[in-house]
Amino acid sequence: MGTSGMSLVAGSLAGALPERELVASCRGGDPEAFAELVRLHEGMVVNLAARLLGDVEEARDVAQEVFLRVYRMLGAFEGRSSLKTWIYRIAVNQCHNRRRFWHRRRRDRETPLDERVLAPAAAERRYGPSPYEETLRRERVRQVQAALLELRFEHRSVLVLRELEGLTCEQVAAALGVPQGTVKSRLARAREAMRRKLARLLEEEVRS
Amino acid sequence: MTCASARNRLSEWLDGDLVAGTARGVSAHLASCRACSLRARELHVMSGLLAELPRLEAAAGVATRVALRLEIAGGSRLPALAFLFRGFAAARPFILPSLVPAASLLLLVFGALLALDPGPLPEVRPAPGAWGAVPASGTEGNPMFPSAEVLLPQQLAAIALPPEVLAGHGEGSLFLETVVARDGSVAGVTLLEGDAGDEQELIEALRQQRFEPVRYRGRRVAVSVYRLISRMEVHSPRT
Repeated sequence: MGTSGMSLVAGSLAGALPERELVASCRGGDPEAFAELVRLHEGMVVNLAARLLGDVEEARDVAQEVFLRVYRMLGAFEGRSSLKTWIYRIAVNQCHNRRRFWHRRRRDRETPLDERVLAPAAAERRYGPSPYEETLRRERVRQVQAALLELRFEHRSVLVLRELEGLTCEQVAAALGVPQGTVKSRLARAREAMRRKLARLLEEEVRS
Repeated sequence: MTCASARNRLSEWLDGDLVAGTARGVSAHLASCRACSLRARELHVMSGLLAELPRLEAAAGVATRVALRLEIAGGSRLPALAFLFRGFAAARPFILPSLVPAASLLLLVFGALLALDPGPLPEVRPAPGAWGAVPASGTEGNPMFPSAEVLLPQQLAAIALPPEVLAGHGEGSLFLETVVARDGSVAGVTLLEGDAGDEQELIEALRQQRFEPVRYRGRRVAVSVYRLISRMEVHSPRT
């Protein structure tokens, strides 16, 4: 079996390698370095894809596609942007392709966000807020996620990268391959669209 | 600063992306305008709600699944050429390496076919005029059929059928093809099923029909229409 020889435990490098060395090791064919690269970025890719697609299983599927692409394209990575930004760009493109695939099959309206995204972690359930507060929180999260999924893809991707992933406008521009001005105008439109969609919820939140 | 210009800059103001002078202008406007201030507050709260969305834990097993799909053998990534030309058993998940034996097999089959080829077959030419050229679509020789693009031809005036046609010759059905020419006249009526001998007057009357010319993409076309005409005797109830 081809995989038996590869150690998939991504802990041996323990995140010790700087990005440049990690990329060089991956290019040199070091499977542990690649496993480390996946371990470092899989969380961010899965979260980004889950927010852009609204479906956890699809997001995990896309994450695999993203890292396969990363593996095959590492040779073309020039290092002009950070590795993270480069992976974001691949992830957004893969999600966009997946959305178009769904759209062609009219599935884009049938993909509710998996409950596991909304469910609090076990520790939070044990020590967290009361059931009433938890219900309110989940309803709030559901509304926000629903409003997010109603946005146009280019608006949603800008908003998710900026607000959820915490990228700067410059990084968002690099990740999407568009000018910074475009990012700012899309961000303003996306925020305004979200404000309108969540008008009632925001009114309650501001009042409280 | 007006409300409109302040609102246009709210997003950048929240991000701290405005130059100092403009940012001060927006802040001063928000301090004096309750509506714009409320909008800025809503956008701020909305950012908080987005940040509140729970994050997924790192998806365990992505690295494993990616590695499985890559099938990296022996703990080392092979150089590109060796990767493509490695043993067939190790090339299973990749289309490109599996294309190599497929292409070889195909070449072998074509080679064998060429070797066994007895030479070109004698060319068969149809006798001139045996089939003739197919008339252009939409002409009387090759009429079109009513469809979504070509409407059913509309009759200009109802035909006056002579009394003997209406009286008929008992019950029965006729299946007729009428070719409506490009000028709206009837180019021909063909009886496809039924007894022609008894219905000559009816067929003759149908040949006299006139229709509104049918158009397809702006040009007049001939249309072929099929009609089923049934005749039945109706007896009034006895009182």
